[in-house]
Amino acid sequence: MAKTLMTLRSQPMQVGVILMLALRNLRRQLRRSILTASAMIIGGWLLLFTFSLGDGTHETWIDSGVRMSGGHVTVERPEFRRSRKIEDRLSADVRSTIERALEAPEIAAQVVAQSARLTINALASSPAGARPAQIIAVDPLAEAPFSMFDDQVLEGRYLEPDDRLAAYVGIGLVESLDLRLGSRFVVQAQDTAQDISGQLLRVVGIFQSGMPEADQTVIHIPIQTAGDWLGSDRDVTNVGVVLADSATVASVATHLERVLAEPIAHGDASVLEWRESNPALYAAVAIDNFGNYLVYGILFTIIAVGIVNTVLMSVLHRHREFGVLQALGLTPGQTGAIVLVEGLTLTAISGVIGVSLGLLTTWYFFGDGIDFSALIGEDMTFSGVVIDPIIVPMFRVSRLSQILVFILVIGAAASIYPARRAATIDTAEAMKFER
Amino acid sequence: MSDFPWLRIGWRNLGRNRKRTGLTALGLAVGFVASVFVVGWSEGLMVEMVESATSLVNGQIEIHDAEFRPDRSLYDTIGGREGTDVQALLRVIDGDASVVAAAPRVYAGGLVSSGEATSAGLFMGIDPARELELTRFLDQLVDGRLPVAGQNELLVGEEMARQLSTGVGDELVVVTSGADGSMANDLYTLVGIFRSGLTDLDATFAVMPIGDLQTLLVLPPNRVHEIAVATADPMVAEATAARLADLLPAVDPAIEVVPWTVLNPAMVDYVALADAMYFIIVGIVFGIAIFGVANSMLMATFERRREFAVMLALGATPRSVWAAVLSEGLAVGVVSLALGAVVAFPLMVWFHNAPPDMSRFLGSDVTIFGALLSPSLRVEYNVPFWFACATALIVTALLAALYPAIRAGRTPPADTLSGL
Amino acid sequence: MARCSGMTYRVVGLLVVGCLVMPRLVAAQTDPLEIMARVDRLLRGESSRGVAAMEVVTEHWDRQMTMELWSLGTDYSLVRLRAPQREAGTATLMAEDDIWNYLPKVDRTIKIPSSMMGGAWMGSHFTNDDLVKESQIIEDYDIEIAFEGDRENVAVWEFLLTPKPEAAIVWGHVEYQVRQDDYMPVWTKFYDEDGELSRTMTYSEFVEFDGRLVPAVMDMHPADKPGERTSIRYEELEFDIDIDQSFFSLRNLQDRR
Repeated sequence: MAKTLMTLRSQPMQVGVILMLALRNLRRQLRRSILTASAMIIGGWLLLFTFSLGDGTHETWIDSGVRMSGGHVTVERPEFRRSRKIEDRLSADVRSTIERALEAPEIAAQVVAQSARLTINALASSPAGARPAQIIAVDPLAEAPFSMFDDQVLEGRYLEPDDRLAAYVGIGLVESLDLRLGSRFVVQAQDTAQDISGQLLRVVGIFQSGMPEADQTVIHIPIQTAGDWLGSDRDVTNVGVVLADSATVASVATHLERVLAEPIAHGDASVLEWRESNPALYAAVAIDNFGNYLVYGILFTIIAVGIVNTVLMSVLHRHREFGVLQALGLTPGQTGAIVLVEGLTLTAISGVIGVSLGLLTTWYFFGDGIDFSALIGEDMTFSGVVIDPIIVPMFRVSRLSQILVFILVIGAAASIYPARRAATIDTAEAMKFER
Repeated sequence: MSDFPWLRIGWRNLGRNRKRTGLTALGLAVGFVASVFVVGWSEGLMVEMVESATSLVNGQIEIHDAEFRPDRSLYDTIGGREGTDVQALLRVIDGDASVVAAAPRVYAGGLVSSGEATSAGLFMGIDPARELELTRFLDQLVDGRLPVAGQNELLVGEEMARQLSTGVGDELVVVTSGADGSMANDLYTLVGIFRSGLTDLDATFAVMPIGDLQTLLVLPPNRVHEIAVATADPMVAEATAARLADLLPAVDPAIEVVPWTVLNPAMVDYVALADAMYFIIVGIVFGIAIFGVANSMLMATFERRREFAVMLALGATPRSVWAAVLSEGLAVGVVSLALGAVVAFPLMVWFHNAPPDMSRFLGSDVTIFGALLSPSLRVEYNVPFWFACATALIVTALLAALYPAIRAGRTPPADTLSGL
Repeated sequence: MARCSGMTYRVVGLLVVGCLVMPRLVAAQTDPLEIMARVDRLLRGESSRGVAAMEVVTEHWDRQMTMELWSLGTDYSLVRLRAPQREAGTATLMAEDDIWNYLPKVDRTIKIPSSMMGGAWMGSHFTNDDLVKESQIIEDYDIEIAFEGDRENVAVWEFLLTPKPEAAIVWGHVEYQVRQDDYMPVWTKFYDEDGELSRTMTYSEFVEFDGRLVPAVMDMHPADKPGERTSIRYEELEFDIDIDQSFFSLRNLQDRR
């Protein structure tokens, strides 16, 4: 030991010695270290798992929300959002530009589903009466992976590619118009020639989304039927995409804006992110995240206090030892470094273990998710979106690094005061102590 | 042997190592403050959600003709075609101790037109004086003022005003069907614009004095569709509704007295869910804190092993050693609690009365179960929960001291005293 | 004999022609399409003007109105109330799928989006489609004779109208009873696809207006609300009058005449 200390002047050896001293002390105070480490392990585990769950939950909210509306990113004419009129549909050129843009490899990799739809307001009538309705004309093959409505079949089935006069209707509208599976009814709307035109439809499926506005007004029909009815051929009013990860929204939107620069400049198109079309959902996610940050900030304050306690106590118990070390040539700075390293090592090891446990738990539940329906029930709506009670925790590298950095910072911060105390030990005074 | 010496010993030992005691107490105190605060904030959100759902427009209790929901037909007034003595009903309701306000309403569907632009609207006839006590959506008008009866004055929501491209002072045409089948129409002056925050409301509702709407609809003054009631606390709504149902004079056809819990059961479930989560939070917080305290106590007992050795050598039972250690734990707990309480209460009072507004960070308001939530950090008091937290804290301290106590009790007296 | 053969030739010619023509005339008498087309055209013309009294009876109220109606093809119509007194002058203009309402009490005109027109026409049991038929019966339905004979001592046909596969019709099928001697409709029954009667329209008081025999009174009875009905009685009716698109203007809408 003395020999190694003699050679303290050389840098690599210094580091080696500091590390050795720090680690040795941790081992000596094993029980104490383990107790403190346990708190950190649990904290790290909970932190990672809870945030994964939280991120998974938010991703589910966002996913549900965007599937009920226009997708993570939507392209439509600027006026369309307000007017909902067929005149404000996308021209064929713009549409093909969009579709080409979405085929670009870097975008296509992110896209989970893509749907081009014609959405208009119409009047639906049956022998029992007439009600306003929102017609969404889709390509069933593209729409099924996009939307959630197709999974909410109450009776019958969703639209199929060969359907012509088929309609998929919400339960509320079905009841108001006294319809059943197979019933005929007529929808009327203004066509491309500005005339009111009627179209026969038959109910092939009835859905229940849990959202009253959707159940009482939404009707899905095949896009070709709408084209024949309104004279719009295969034109659409909006194109939307659902992405695999909501974190990629900004880049996809930017890419689309670049490709569509010219139509956008002419006012023929606009690119919207889900944040803009559903600000309430965005705020909800933010509030929930905030709540989590709050709780974990507090938890880790408690853990930090524990770390300070442990490290400080070990310093205060090693007065003599530090005195001896300093007498043998260790500078105050190096003494402090030992304590710092001790605290950091304790934090780092326990943090990594905790986070790994968290990762394991996340991975374990990743496949099927956790079913919260006992707690949440099937009907929860949040910002107009029906929440799926099954939550899949989500792993994000950014979150992981955020957490690891956070833990290390906590460890470092907690060790600063004890390190300073260690550095200011007076060598002569220290000799008076037993240890 | 009585406990009292142990408590004193426990207290005294705290002073032995102030820093350590301080840090340990800090850990527990932070846990206490945190639990109280986070739960207070969460409850604040819940209360706001419920209040928003109920006191924004609806009231905590609604009284209708039993047939009125869900179709909300013009003809299903309270008391049917004959109507009822509305003032008598209001008198009974006002007399109930839990009732803060009650107001009658009339509803009808129709069109509002600014000439070129026409919107479908839901007309709501209100008693402005009573309504202000009952609901909040008219408290802060975006523009203008409340309508005065008999002057053909109207209020619309912000979104409808935008759709009609109209502003205060403009003339609007109102078209609806009268109860006698006639095409009811009249000119109204827009005197104010409201913003509830709920877009649907702001796009559909047009508000006017109840007498004016009754006249337009050819309804006599004793026919109203609804009496909305506000209770002091949303949580007593159910009990109050049951009481009112008994107290109110019989009306033919039958009426229903419905609390918000029946109208919005999903929200009730969510509040219950949130309540359940509080215990999880407490569990986690104190579960983490326990390690720190245990660590501390272990160190403390280790230091004092000679003292315990002496005690045991002198004939004290292990049980009394436990008592000594546990009482130290208890003492730490009490100190932490005191520290925590001293920090928590002012914090809670501050955040209850003057919560900071988070809207800078969050932008929009959130809706949940159709209720509007504004992002602020307002907290609610929950004294029973505070006691639960305090108990949890003391229990944590005691539990943390348990293992060290047992170890201390097993200190081998001879070996320890001989220096091993 | 030459004169005789000339006459004979003519007679034979007539007979031959008659024989050729007669079967067609006879066929036309029972060609369901032809008859229904006639029924459909009863109240149609290139243009028309009429004065009618309408009574609507519902569960909650009774109402009587008198109105003046003008129409040009299927794209233009103007209806103006003459009675009751307090609503006189109220008018609805439909011009190429834009709908305007004039309200005399406030002296204002409002434009109503067609989506808000709902089903009922002027609060009655008739729908917009009933009165402003866009397309013709024979285009939308397959027509066959279900009964031919006497009902209550009147010779009638009963036609079964089944919507063509893609016709934009809400009914499962429709039945008409038409008098054989003057092609006047007696009733129309509208059924939903389950075969349940949804509403019945009856025609009565057959009167000649402007040279045409039409039912002056039409009653609509909804099947699900037994006490309710709407009755329209034409007091005046002229066809193919001298009006054009310019008549159907906002200025005319507001004319309080």
